[in-house]
Amino acid sequence: MKDFVLVAKELCVERGGQRVLDDVSFNVGKGEVFALLGGNGAGKSTTLLTFLGFIAPSSGSVTLNGAVVHEHRATVHQQTAYLPESARLYPHLSARENLNYFLSLASVSCPDDEIEQALDAVSLAAEARSKRLSDYSKGMRQKVAIALAILRKTPVLLLDEPTSGLDPVAIDEFNAILIALAEKGTTILMVTHDVYGACHVARRVGLLQRGHMVGIFEASKNGEISAEEVHRIFVDHQRL
Amino acid sequence: MANLIREIRFALTESIVRWTLLLAFMLSGFSLANGLYEVRQQESQLATLKSEAQKDQAYVLPQQGDAGGAAYYMLHLTYDPPSELAFAALGLRDELPWKHRVKMLALEGQIYEADQSNPELAYLGKLDFNYLVSILLPLLIIGLLYDLDARERRESRYELLCASSRRGKGVLFDRAFARVVLLFLVIIVPFLIALLISGAKFYSGFLVLAPVLLHALFWLVICRVVTSRKIEGITAAAILFGTWLVVTSLVPVVGKSAVERWVEVPNGGEILLTQRETVNDAWDLPKQATMSRFLEVHPEWRDYAGIEGSFEWKWYYAFQQVGDQQVEPMSTALSQRIAGRDARMGWVSALSPPLMVDRWLTKSAETDITQHMRYIACVRDFHAELRRFHYPMLFGREVYSVEAMDELPQFSPCVVQN
Repeated sequence: MKDFVLVAKELCVERGGQRVLDDVSFNVGKGEVFALLGGNGAGKSTTLLTFLGFIAPSSGSVTLNGAVVHEHRATVHQQTAYLPESARLYPHLSARENLNYFLSLASVSCPDDEIEQALDAVSLAAEARSKRLSDYSKGMRQKVAIALAILRKTPVLLLDEPTSGLDPVAIDEFNAILIALAEKGTTILMVTHDVYGACHVARRVGLLQRGHMVGIFEASKNGEISAEEVHRIFVDHQRL
Repeated sequence: MANLIREIRFALTESIVRWTLLLAFMLSGFSLANGLYEVRQQESQLATLKSEAQKDQAYVLPQQGDAGGAAYYMLHLTYDPPSELAFAALGLRDELPWKHRVKMLALEGQIYEADQSNPELAYLGKLDFNYLVSILLPLLIIGLLYDLDARERRESRYELLCASSRRGKGVLFDRAFARVVLLFLVIIVPFLIALLISGAKFYSGFLVLAPVLLHALFWLVICRVVTSRKIEGITAAAILFGTWLVVTSLVPVVGKSAVERWVEVPNGGEILLTQRETVNDAWDLPKQATMSRFLEVHPEWRDYAGIEGSFEWKWYYAFQQVGDQQVEPMSTALSQRIAGRDARMGWVSALSPPLMVDRWLTKSAETDITQHMRYIACVRDFHAELRRFHYPMLFGREVYSVEAMDELPQFSPCVVQN
């Protein structure tokens, strides 16, 4: 039996007396990109926060490399890089200062040239790197957050709407980065609204609807999941 | 330590932190400069008074032909000099007398006569280091910490921050701790400089630093308990400000009011009035009545206590002492009940850390009520010594001479036994 890095088993989460996730099960193998699709309020971000240990399951479990997440939060955080939707980082600091600060939080020491390479990889203009983030557009800020996720060099990436605010070129570049990281063995769980982007990078796509896992779609033999098919199912469920 | 250094560096990147630290530094410097100036003023005033007292004695004594005149016209300076830490906590030196010029007359009335400074200014008090660290320090800490968690949540950074940190949510404690450490440093650096300027023993500074540190840590914990909840920054600020108001104002005021009702203290004015009436009445009473009361306390003068003339100095000083004897129970009660009130305010301070800090600092600086009562006791002891010196000459057992007055007791301040 294959060892999965991330496993959600019969996961139920209740918040404010409401069941936000109901019997959700899925797993993500090493070096796999798993995309969790769903509309607003489907429970995607809750799933990610449960994997980060910020929300404890009401029942069921989430594990990372076999460790129950909410019992081993520190270990989980060491192995995980998290990219939130519209990460604002610190507006009074520059891109470099933000990266240095967040990396020092994780006790990761990165030489300056490695930081520059990561910023190159996300195509952040060189002249912008010393400016305060308060002068950045939403997309530029997101690029810095992506650079941070790359620099953490963790075996697991948890991404919440990572392409939010990015232009199409930047989205393509980001997707390329994700595929390269997965090929190097990084396990990636991303939640997104972007059906086409998800189907492009993910080997499998899970569809969440009002806290239920509606279905999990495998990539076809040529490598990509049929985005049209997933989109159709997604829209059908949204209309229900 | 690495976490602390990282968060200190981070804190210094924020302009609100830098401005708050600058404000704290200036307040600390100003309060200490004010304290040092006040202490210098008091020391200078004392030096002048001592010099004038010597000149006064040198002028008055040769003119006196008898023991009664010498005792009557001599003024004796008593004082409670500022301690080496008084610059940090001026305490009751603002409002209670720390110097008296006493005569050989009835003492108790002289104790309760005091120079009055502007009562409105005395009510406001002075901005000294004690005021800064007991009252203003919590506000500065609240200002630095109230929005710490809420801002991270508001700006959608909370999860990223906690997930990025090896210490998880502990990173926000590190951040709060770093800010409190910075605040502590900018407040104590001027204090250490003031300590050097004042010439105080360096280790005595720890008597001040310890309560400041503990007070800062207390507010750090309070702020963390409130701000780590999922509430808006403004809500956290309101809760913390309310807490500050309760512990710095409501508890001490209500506590003081309750203690004052609980432990009633005789009025110093009544003591003064009673003593004066006793002394004045003595002029109209049979002299033996006065002497009998005097001899109850001083039987050793029985053989010298006969009064033959219409006025004799020994009778005059005897009724001065009888005046003191008359109010002695009231004075004793006053001292005991002031001490009782102070002890009960100690209990109240268990509910009010700012009050506890104030009490600790004024105790360390010897500017509290205990020190004032100690000074008053010291004045009484000195006055008793004066009587022991003068009575043999007044009662005629020894012969008065100007040379004999060389042995006149001189006041020296009481040394606090730690």
